[in-house]
Amino acid sequence: MNRVYNVTMSTESIIRTRGLCMRYGGNYALKNVNLEIAAGEIFGLLGHNGAGKTTTVSIITTLLKPSLGNAEVCGLDTLRDSREVRRQIGYLPENVELYESLTLRENLLYFARLSGVAEPDRRIEDVLQFLDFTTCMDKKLSTFSKGMRQRAGIAQAILHRPRILFLDEPASGLDPQGVIALRQNIQSLNREMGMTIFMNTHSLSEVTKTCTNIGILRQGELLYQDSLSQTIAAFPEHASLEDIYLRIDADGR
Amino acid sequence: MSKAVGAIFLKELNDLLRRRSFMLLCAAMAAVVALALLITSLDYHKQLSDYQQYAQALAQSGAAAPAAPPQLSPLQQLRGGIEYIEIIGPVLAIVAGYGSAAKEKYRGTLRLFFSRPIGALDLAAGKLAALGVLWLIIVLVLFLVMTATMHFIGGAAFSAAAIAKLTLSLAGAWAYLAFWSGLALGLTCFVRQPGSALLICFIIWLTVVLLLPQIGDTMDPDNQVPGGLFQSMHVDKSNEHAIMAHFSGYETTRNALEETSISKHFERASFAFLGVKQIYNQQPVGFIWSETWKDSASLLAALLASTAFAMTQCNKRNLIGRRMK
Repeated sequence: MNRVYNVTMSTESIIRTRGLCMRYGGNYALKNVNLEIAAGEIFGLLGHNGAGKTTTVSIITTLLKPSLGNAEVCGLDTLRDSREVRRQIGYLPENVELYESLTLRENLLYFARLSGVAEPDRRIEDVLQFLDFTTCMDKKLSTFSKGMRQRAGIAQAILHRPRILFLDEPASGLDPQGVIALRQNIQSLNREMGMTIFMNTHSLSEVTKTCTNIGILRQGELLYQDSLSQTIAAFPEHASLEDIYLRIDADGR
Repeated sequence: MSKAVGAIFLKELNDLLRRRSFMLLCAAMAAVVALALLITSLDYHKQLSDYQQYAQALAQSGAAAPAAPPQLSPLQQLRGGIEYIEIIGPVLAIVAGYGSAAKEKYRGTLRLFFSRPIGALDLAAGKLAALGVLWLIIVLVLFLVMTATMHFIGGAAFSAAAIAKLTLSLAGAWAYLAFWSGLALGLTCFVRQPGSALLICFIIWLTVVLLLPQIGDTMDPDNQVPGGLFQSMHVDKSNEHAIMAHFSGYETTRNALEETSISKHFERASFAFLGVKQIYNQQPVGFIWSETWKDSASLLAALLASTAFAMTQCNKRNLIGRRMK
């Protein structure tokens, strides 16, 4: 029998899901997922391919409607108040698909206008300076490497100063330098801008270095959720997060 | 217009104008229209000089100068151009409407897009507005090409009434092209695989633009239609009417078949305003409108229907909520 080890019930939850289910035809991609994430966390959602991580993020970011259950972001219902929810969040999908024929500046200007950002040119300058990315401002996206695209994606996601940033497999396909730069960016956004970060990932080493809290999904079910420090303390017999993950995953079978 | 719709509109219009292959196709259509006009302009020029020589000779002989014969209307010479717009125009409009949604569906850019706080109809409104303006630009270019070719090569002088008729005719062309783009945009959003939408669009084009009008023409016994029954039997118009009075059911069916084609409505309205159909040649705009307003209304209704279809289909559920196989 599957069991949720510990679900943090914080009164300051910035993201909350209740009984979230998602069905594609006869298959359940999510089964009764109850998540609680507090403001200021860097939350890593772990799981195999097809565990339901992207579906979870898609529902919370209002991109998908759940079959059952509901999700709240900053106290707003993702179905009823979807537009307001989208003002509060930034989103970076696994494959950052910005417009190839446009320059970085043009791409960011477009997304800034869609987000209703006042003084978009100034905001773009600020964001690119924050990400140390100003030199590429007038280059077309088609000339960008994977790492540069990822940074461009983050720039677009934070232009409107969201309270929560969702990152779907952000380190996927990045070289070691790109991974380090990404980690620094995530930590700065969390510390300096006070953003809550929600990331889906396979990379356990990245979770260890970046996240404050974790959740583990397996075949659409949330098996575990707690802070990283509590998790490590709760499994003293295991040397690494990888061992803990494998243990929880095996227990969930 | 909200800021988001404005941003989408500007980006879409920019994208459409930057698409080299599409602009080449548009240039090819403009070139074909210009070529058709060049040939008719030269012919018109010759007819005009023949008529002027004839009128001058009459004047020199002391006889009264004849009134300009109706067949020398410059607007009638634009028939070839309108026919190209009627047949080739929808192909370009389908390509533009399809491309507008398919590029984003294939590239996956819409997940980022729909994560922004935009309204449910903003994407459709922005894309449709851009397509509408694109066709306005192209129709204006065609207007200039048509009038300039007829004026400078054909030597034709356009009266204010002729300009008004041409403007109305080209307004119909705009509505006709915008209808096809809206239909293609809506279908590309509605169908899971964008490629299937393109195929469906071309099947509709084949049926509506080529097949139905052709069936209608083939069944038409009118003595003005080349190959028509009455023409081949040398039956004049008054006898034709007398005979056809006994076959009203046949004529109603034939006409109904033609009227299912939006192309036929566009053709009927345009040919009436341009005076291609003899009974409307040199007639005032009010008279032509009173006789053909149903064709213009059908064109407008089709445009509104395709716009409504695109508005309801160009949404998050269709574009990212369903998985492409």
